[in-house]
Amino acid sequence: MVFTEAKRYYVERRVVERMVATGSASFAGYFAWLRTDVQHEIELFINAFTVNETYFYREDHQLKCLTTDLLAECVRAKKKDGRIRIWCAPCSTGEEPYSVAIWLLEKWPLVDQYEIEILGSDIDTAALQACEQGIFGKRALMRLSADVIDRYFEPVDDEHWKILDELRQSVQFSRVNIVEPAETRPHGQFDVIFCRNVLIYFDDASRRVAAENLFENLLPGGFICLGHTESMSRISPLFDVRRFADAIVYQRPGKESV
Amino acid sequence: MPLVRKPTGAPPQPPPVTTGILEGLSSPNEDARWAAARAAADLAESVGPLTAALQLEPVARVREAMFTSLARIGNGESAAGVLPLLRSDAAHLRAGALDALRIMIRDTRELLPALLEDSDVDIRILSCELARVLPGNEATSLLCDLLRREQDANVCAAAVDVLAEVGQSEALPVLAACAAKFPDSPFLCFAIQVAADRISAQPAPIRG
Repeated sequence: MVFTEAKRYYVERRVVERMVATGSASFAGYFAWLRTDVQHEIELFINAFTVNETYFYREDHQLKCLTTDLLAECVRAKKKDGRIRIWCAPCSTGEEPYSVAIWLLEKWPLVDQYEIEILGSDIDTAALQACEQGIFGKRALMRLSADVIDRYFEPVDDEHWKILDELRQSVQFSRVNIVEPAETRPHGQFDVIFCRNVLIYFDDASRRVAAENLFENLLPGGFICLGHTESMSRISPLFDVRRFADAIVYQRPGKESV
Repeated sequence: MPLVRKPTGAPPQPPPVTTGILEGLSSPNEDARWAAARAAADLAESVGPLTAALQLEPVARVREAMFTSLARIGNGESAAGVLPLLRSDAAHLRAGALDALRIMIRDTRELLPALLEDSDVDIRILSCELARVLPGNEATSLLCDLLRREQDANVCAAAVDVLAEVGQSEALPVLAACAAKFPDSPFLCFAIQVAADRISAQPAPIRG
């Protein structure tokens, strides 16, 4: 991750938070604590720096593109009952992979004809715990209709809703650092990867490695969706640009996925 | 029961590659070369084989992985190994080399003053791009030195473009002198004016 001078306050605030949490009286003391990874401090430090601000149906034009165009291409070479794998990496606190699941159930008529695997992965283990719990506040649900909330969530209190167990079981979660090939490779190859708003935080070298990892994690002909401010063309020439009615996405060249 | 049907069994994986790294770089199999190129980042002695293989590699994605690994190795040897590719006749090798050198700027920066004085105009133009990723004061110093001595308008234009983004106020008199040196180049004079306006509009940098 790269933080410019403009992010100094952001970084300082989080370092101070961790110093307070660990009872460190000085930065030198905290730094020693961090370097020796006392009580898994490296993981907690990473968790403090991740951004987990998201909501259901964010950038839904990509979800429209998924059910209108991408899956149609993906299933063209698949047999009925074939396997479709969708990866949300990073997945933050779960809004995105659960959005994919709800969107498929609501909008894709072929949803029952294929074995669909939706996997959400993130480097932030606290966020992954939140994914597993599946409890969301009003703000996260603001773009869902009352009817959809009613059918896929149960109220916890006036401000929070819990995703139904059946939907919860439709999505799996795992930890991954997308810059580490040893962590991305075991996840296998996917038909569609959503990798939104994370590459912008990496330096050039890490972005290239991440792009190569994602390339390996796509089936030939598979698609990758980035955040609306991101462009894979500026990061890596590995992918073809595909312009659909609802979104611009990137495709691993090669035969269509099977 | 999940609402979305989940499959069972292991996820699909790419075909396994079993060749060694250095051997794999010259494999007839594209996937083996790709895998070897990526794995070479963890093998310091792969710089020579990587730079040699790059010049023969016909597949763009494998070349890309080779450049990434050279950049990740990021030492003086890999910078020196990539540098000659800036002189390649192949545009994709020049562009790849430039990207890789930019990433390993820590190892490239000491080579930069000589590159900016290279006898080849194209090398001087490309080298200006490398300065873009240096701290503003360092880039300003190097590019101002270049502008003071440079006689080629295209090289000056490349330097001015970088200064417009990262230049500091010390560059302003040098830019004015450069504009005076090329009164018959309206494009360069316009670019210099844009750069000077941008630099003047910036707050003074924090000196630490």
